Amino acid sequence: MNARHLLILCLAWSGAATAQVDYVSRYANNCAACHGVQGHSVLDGIPSLGGQSALYAITQLHLFRAGRRTSTVMNALSAGFNDADLRGYAAVIGTLPPPPAPQTVADAQRLARGRETAQRHQCLACHGIDGGGGKQVPRLAFQREEYLQSALKQFKAGTRIGYTQAMSEALSNVETGELDDLAHFLAHYTSAP
Amino acid sequence: MKIRIIGATLALTLAGSVWAQQKTEEPAWAAGRPQSEQAMAMAPVPAFPIPTAVADLPLSKMKLPPGFKVEVWASNILDARGMRLGAKGTVFVSSLFVAGKIYAVVDKHGVREVKTIAENLMLPNGIEFYKGSLFVGTPKQIVRYDNIEDTLDKPPAPVTIYDKLPGDATHGWKTMRVGPDGKLYLPIGAPCNICLPDDEHGKIVRMNLDGTNVETVARGVRNTVGFDFQPATGQLWFTDNARDWISEDLPNDELNRVTALGQHFGFPFCHQGNFTDPQFGWGKNCADYVKPAALLGAHVAPLGMTFYTGKMFPKKYQGAIFIARHGSWNRTRKQGADVVVAFPDGKGGARTELFLSGLVQNNELLGRPVDVMQMRDGSLLISDDHNGAIYRISYGAP
Repeated sequence: MNARHLLILCLAWSGAATAQVDYVSRYANNCAACHGVQGHSVLDGIPSLGGQSALYAITQLHLFRAGRRTSTVMNALSAGFNDADLRGYAAVIGTLPPPPAPQTVADAQRLARGRETAQRHQCLACHGIDGGGGKQVPRLAFQREEYLQSALKQFKAGTRIGYTQAMSEALSNVETGELDDLAHFLAHYTSAP
Repeated sequence: MKIRIIGATLALTLAGSVWAQQKTEEPAWAAGRPQSEQAMAMAPVPAFPIPTAVADLPLSKMKLPPGFKVEVWASNILDARGMRLGAKGTVFVSSLFVAGKIYAVVDKHGVREVKTIAENLMLPNGIEFYKGSLFVGTPKQIVRYDNIEDTLDKPPAPVTIYDKLPGDATHGWKTMRVGPDGKLYLPIGAPCNICLPDDEHGKIVRMNLDGTNVETVARGVRNTVGFDFQPATGQLWFTDNARDWISEDLPNDELNRVTALGQHFGFPFCHQGNFTDPQFGWGKNCADYVKPAALLGAHVAPLGMTFYTGKMFPKKYQGAIFIARHGSWNRTRKQGADVVVAFPDGKGGARTELFLSGLVQNNELLGRPVDVMQMRDGSLLISDDHNGAIYRISYGAP
């Protein structure tokens, strides 16, 4: 499924939401098809939203709407959002439970390499010892691996910028070849014993 | 020949890796952070990406001295930061990370219309209005919009007057004023929480309005986000944000006064006039640097400041300095998020007094004052980037 198909699918879902005013329903109608009913995405390239803070969610929606973060689907969807929509969707996202552990089996060597990279570059100093993020910083633990790969590469290349270049700077000393193992580690990361 | 090429490539590669090693990995604000659980939980929080609805603004929480009142002057201005007054009454408003815009607020018989006059700018915190033109400063360059008040709906393409600034995301944002000498004053902050800045950083400079003749006005300045010229003397006074992560209670942020060109105000060697830096202060003596005129509190983040010259407020405020304190992030118990007044003592010092307070409740910042600007009637506008609003403070009869 490419981005255009997704867009059509998401828009079709949003068309179903006519009389709904509460954002729990709007999330179910407009977001869940791609991001999962509980914010647990099962689609390639689509991030899980579960466990993300409302502040992170609203910041990303704001950046999508302003065209400062690029995604064909999200730019198109958020273009029609007003401020109340941003608040409403973000509040709902902030209540979704963290995603479960991935079904895929982790590769011990890649995990070890990714862990070493994460430690050397202090990823969890900002993203939380449990990988759970906080405030405007996103949760990484159990996020979809291919989404993390793609996001890391965009930050590294400077094609994705948040409010500042903070992530691009954070990745300035990480070799591009290390990013996939880093994503593998984060996608399987849990601080639980 | 071949060997030479390989040699050159190797040299370039080495130079590249040295550069890469010098670049910091953790965000600049996190440098020096201790590993305690409390410290690890702290980080700067950007303004919320949506302005607060008028009805929800924290007006009823604000406390002022007797006789003063506060009202909402304008709202729905995302990330409202610096303010400057145009000759025809337009209030220009800058923003930072969250909005990246410059606004113009036009008062039409008490109804205030907010126009966006520039957008997609990098950290456009610095604005100044002078002789019909609006100057806008970003970390990299200074531009000028001519005849701006007559072209608010379709501003002209700006004229670049200077584009050789370092461009840092950290403390590279500007605050600007044209001095009594007709020159444009602006800071080039230290690109770090704590570091030894090169000669290009950690100072206030001035230049002619066409960008020529850049001179250093003050050195040893970490991150000033507000300054003004004392009307009686023409001397430059500025606020400076001190380093983080030493302690909950040290060092104090500063109010400083420049009495001679090129004076050094201590950063990174000496903080608050009497406290050598744990890392860069060894072998240094605070007596070698200009002492602050006043200490403004630890981590309170004093930003915009203005000398009061209006007639509306009681006489004691004549010549006093109103200072917006943005409020602390690098402190477990929040403080600041208010407006203080500094009364210069005529001997280089100043006594401070709390003016507007009440915005810290349950250890949360309900609003964050950024800039203070005097209106022609003597009332005072205060911007709040946290809520995307501007308040007006008046005294006596409405």
